[in-house]
Amino acid sequence: MSDTATTPRQLLEQRRSSRSKGRGYALLLWGSAILFVVVLAGILQGIISQSGQAWGHFGLGFLWSTSFNTVTNQYGAGTFILGTLTVTLIAMLIAVPIGLATASFLTEMCPRRIATPLGVGIDLIAAIPSIVVGLWGLYVMQPVFLRDVEPFMKDIPVVNILFKGNPEGPSLFLAGFVLSIMIVPTMVALSRTALAGVGNSDREAAIALGATPWQVIRKVVVPGANSGILAAATLALGRAVGETIAVTLLIGNASRISHPLSLLNPGATLGSVIVLNFGDSLPGTLYRSSLMALAVVLLVFTLVVNIGGRMMVRRNRNFRLP
Amino acid sequence: MTDLLEAPAPSGKDASYYERRELIQTSARATLKRRRSIALTIRITFGLCMVLVLIPLVALVVYVTKRGIGAISVGFFTHIPTPPGIPGGGISNAIVGSLIVNGLALAIAIPLGLLVALFLIERSGPVANIVRFGADVLSGLPSILIGLFIYAQFVVRNHHFSAYSGSLALAVLMLPIMIRGDEEAMRTVPNELWEAGLALGARQSRVVRSVVVRGSIPGLITANLLALARAIGETAPLLFTVAGSQLFSTSLSQPINAVPIVIFQDGTSAFKELQQDAWGAAFVLMAAVLVLSIIGRMVAARLTNNSR
Repeated sequence: MSDTATTPRQLLEQRRSSRSKGRGYALLLWGSAILFVVVLAGILQGIISQSGQAWGHFGLGFLWSTSFNTVTNQYGAGTFILGTLTVTLIAMLIAVPIGLATASFLTEMCPRRIATPLGVGIDLIAAIPSIVVGLWGLYVMQPVFLRDVEPFMKDIPVVNILFKGNPEGPSLFLAGFVLSIMIVPTMVALSRTALAGVGNSDREAAIALGATPWQVIRKVVVPGANSGILAAATLALGRAVGETIAVTLLIGNASRISHPLSLLNPGATLGSVIVLNFGDSLPGTLYRSSLMALAVVLLVFTLVVNIGGRMMVRRNRNFRLP
Repeated sequence: MTDLLEAPAPSGKDASYYERRELIQTSARATLKRRRSIALTIRITFGLCMVLVLIPLVALVVYVTKRGIGAISVGFFTHIPTPPGIPGGGISNAIVGSLIVNGLALAIAIPLGLLVALFLIERSGPVANIVRFGADVLSGLPSILIGLFIYAQFVVRNHHFSAYSGSLALAVLMLPIMIRGDEEAMRTVPNELWEAGLALGARQSRVVRSVVVRGSIPGLITANLLALARAIGETAPLLFTVAGSQLFSTSLSQPINAVPIVIFQDGTSAFKELQQDAWGAAFVLMAAVLVLSIIGRMVAARLTNNSR
């Protein structure tokens, strides 16, 4: 440290200062960890506290009331919960099977030379902001749906009971479909990780017993990656529930349920109704508080889904989330 | 398998043996054929699924590029928006605004994320568990809720929208990605290096600075770039915090424009010129996100190659 002789007193000084610097570092770490927890708690508290007025006024009936009227000052979450569930269900029904099949194809049936670049490509596209996907959906998919897809769905027997009424452009179906495009890369990437986590020796054992690639997938790989796949689907679900901007551009934003019930109807989700109406609401009003209560419902939905997904992951040790 | 089935029969057996042998051979061949055709069908179906996944994604990139390139010019980057009908508008204020808001968000989130990640590496116990759980929860929270939180805590109290409140929202959004990524990157530093540093008499903070952080720089860069790539395209939190603006502003305490807001507002406008601007902005944003993600991945790839 220095070539001059140090007196015991200097040594003591050095140690004291070094200890206090060590303490400063520890304080810094603790401080930032606590700041992080405080921010998180602040998010929950900030949103929940502002919704108090609405819960006090409407009670739990807020959850299933379908009125949303700024004139009569009656608000409820029913329409938006139904809209969120419908859109999410459509997206999941499309994205989960197709995503899982794609992931199986990439890990099990396709040469690595092709699989790696394709996987990276899908990952990259997953990073495209949802506003860009929404804009594309609005200008490209909406005309296609209006002209071809929705009339086509009306012609399919049995399925067409879901497609009553006339196609008008923005609809629950369109929003759900574009949402599925947005969550499919997540589904593919996460289930690929899960499938790749199954040991090669398991695969080799099955092949040695004469299993075809399909049998290997069905009887060895998918059961082995079970919890990872479930977690992938759950996290994709979390993304679908919370996705706001693209859905807002495509769903038509009708704040009441139109009859007859149909996927061709415009609707609204918890996220879209908040985005569109928040600017019109004044702080302190029942209207604003009701929008915050909708945010609380959204918060609970996503927390349940995400915590559920993480708990499933934790059970499966060799699966790591990105 | 086929070889076994076709193997010549041993001599000196009676007729029923050959009959049974024939039966077994036929059924085995049929089973094999059925299994192979199922396998082929599945392979084709799954391959088609992959094509189905790729078609819209590729179509999206191609279409946005085509429309976007047609919409941009030099003036697009250097001028501020003009009212519809007046030519020569650009989105310079939105680009500068996005850079300011994201830059400030990085300045807040990078050090905090690094320190929290270090905390997770150095400590274990209930607080570390809460922090880790919190990061998981926060990364799954819809960005609109983060925007509402910043709105409730800062915008309402200051009575107006501001660039820095947008930065705070984006910083909160970046934090969980950074914490997870930084922690993972720094965990790759072998324990021996920590111990060697400590054995030389260096303080913990010194070891962290000179050994751990310096040794995991590529991983840290990747984590932070990916966090930026995620934040730069977020729209919902910005709508409630920076609120957008038609003017050129660099002030942190004033409303400011941002590229995603331009896409949201102009894309839903009825004016063709504004829609054109939205496509240009969408292309700029998509290109920025892809470039950031690709650089992040290249840094990460170099990291794994070196460690081999």
